[in-house]
Amino acid sequence: MKFKSKHIFITTFILFAAVPVLLGFGYALLYSFGLTGILSEGFTTEYWEKTLLATEFWKSLGFSLFIAVVVMTISLFFSIWIVISWTKNLYKGLLSYVTYLPLAFPAIVMAFFSFQLLSKSGFISRVIFNLGWIDDLSQFPDWTNDAYGVAIIFSLCLLITPFFIILYSNLYQNERIPELKALAQTLGAKKNQITTRIIVPILLKKSAFTIMLFLIFVMGTYEIPLLLGRQDPSMLSVFIIQKLQKFNLADIPQAYAVSVIYILLIATLIAVVYKTRPAFFNPEKN
Amino acid sequence: MKKALQILFILSIFFPIAFLLLLSLGRNWPYPELLPQSLSLENWEFLQKSDSKLLQTFFLSLGISILVATVTTALAFITSKHIALSKYRNKLMLLAYIPYVLSPVILAATLHFFFIYAGISGNVSGVLLAQFFIAYPFGVIILNNFWNHKTRAIEELSKTLGSSSWQTFKNVLLPISKNALLLCFFQTFLVSWFEFGLTNLIGVGSVQTLTVRVFSFVNEANIFYAALASCLLILPPMILIWINKRYIFATETVI
Repeated sequence: MKFKSKHIFITTFILFAAVPVLLGFGYALLYSFGLTGILSEGFTTEYWEKTLLATEFWKSLGFSLFIAVVVMTISLFFSIWIVISWTKNLYKGLLSYVTYLPLAFPAIVMAFFSFQLLSKSGFISRVIFNLGWIDDLSQFPDWTNDAYGVAIIFSLCLLITPFFIILYSNLYQNERIPELKALAQTLGAKKNQITTRIIVPILLKKSAFTIMLFLIFVMGTYEIPLLLGRQDPSMLSVFIIQKLQKFNLADIPQAYAVSVIYILLIATLIAVVYKTRPAFFNPEKN
Repeated sequence: MKKALQILFILSIFFPIAFLLLLSLGRNWPYPELLPQSLSLENWEFLQKSDSKLLQTFFLSLGISILVATVTTALAFITSKHIALSKYRNKLMLLAYIPYVLSPVILAATLHFFFIYAGISGNVSGVLLAQFFIAYPFGVIILNNFWNHKTRAIEELSKTLGSSSWQTFKNVLLPISKNALLLCFFQTFLVSWFEFGLTNLIGVGSVQTLTVRVFSFVNEANIFYAALASCLLILPPMILIWINKRYIFATETVI
């Protein structure tokens, strides 16, 4: 009975967790090689050539990576700075509650809020106009649907920073940083040395896997760049969905080719972590 | 200086909530007015009107999220135990992480054909199944931490003292796992509640959850109703986060 129940649940898990990804990957692969779908005329590498030779795809990949790196750098900087500077306040009082509030914001709401705040007719533009700094809304800079993804970066930072503040404030206690700090002070370390050689390395090392997961999350984010980004360059998810939903049927196999690349990229990253740091997958050995 | 920065930080967190609430009460906001020209409860009254589908949308979203979270938590609890005891624990957890980090909308794009083939594209059952595909591995990841040496030792002790498997489950494992189960329920509820891309694609616009409605209102340039729907979207998570913070984290600290 025990044998049966164990196998039933593990099979259920594989069926609902791994099989859908494999099915989706297989279908996308077949479609991208012209082996299935409306345009299917037998095996062809035409769509892969079109995808890999077009600058559109590489720009999208580069833009997604750029956004992910910038967002993570800003979020990590602020969260570490806040945790180090406000350590005691984060565990009690209003601040300990307020830090959790941004977690209640879905990405689509944050995108809508950012648009109403940062667009040419948004709240900041109105404040600046009323202060007399601009005479017309056209003078307000393009922060939404712009080439550098300013509003995308802003929204993602608002969503991610609170998560890292909570994570680092917990790590700060769990890794007994206050005690290490006191020890370093006793041994004569300066404030700067304690921060850069003890606190920051410990926090970053302990959160390395989470940082990698968030880099992947940000690269694949959809709602925020959909509302706040532009079509060229667009982030990967938006790029794929736009190609899939366009009237040009010839774009569909290319969308699946990009999906295959994206899934392979993620699977490879996770596999590399699995090979090099297997403890991340087993908390008892972590 | 430190105090001033903290106040600024707190204000910056309350600002989006206040801003959305204000917009939800507004009508007519011409440039360069700082606030909408009229503020009233008229938009909120729209919720009660029989032709308004926003309240139905709210309850549909709530129903979907509660169902996904309940099924996921129950199944993930038992599955994570078997995974934790398995000699393939690391390999199985690797399988859980791939759908967890994969962009849901891309997963939906690659699976949409199968949903159409099965006749569940564009209806609630399809959306439920698609959301389950991402929530279930996440639930397993959350509960995997619970099945550590300590939990297993308590379970063994209970059995050694003569309890049956059911008694051990009901009287020992369930009480000690209460916080982990609540955490899993809250997190998977939020995964489902926040989901837009996958729901929109698999639901083909026919399954109107709150996130899909916010997007529709934004597309229609109806910012006041978009703000109203946004307020409805952030309300349940705020209550959940408050309960989470007040009761779960508080008891965990005591333990």
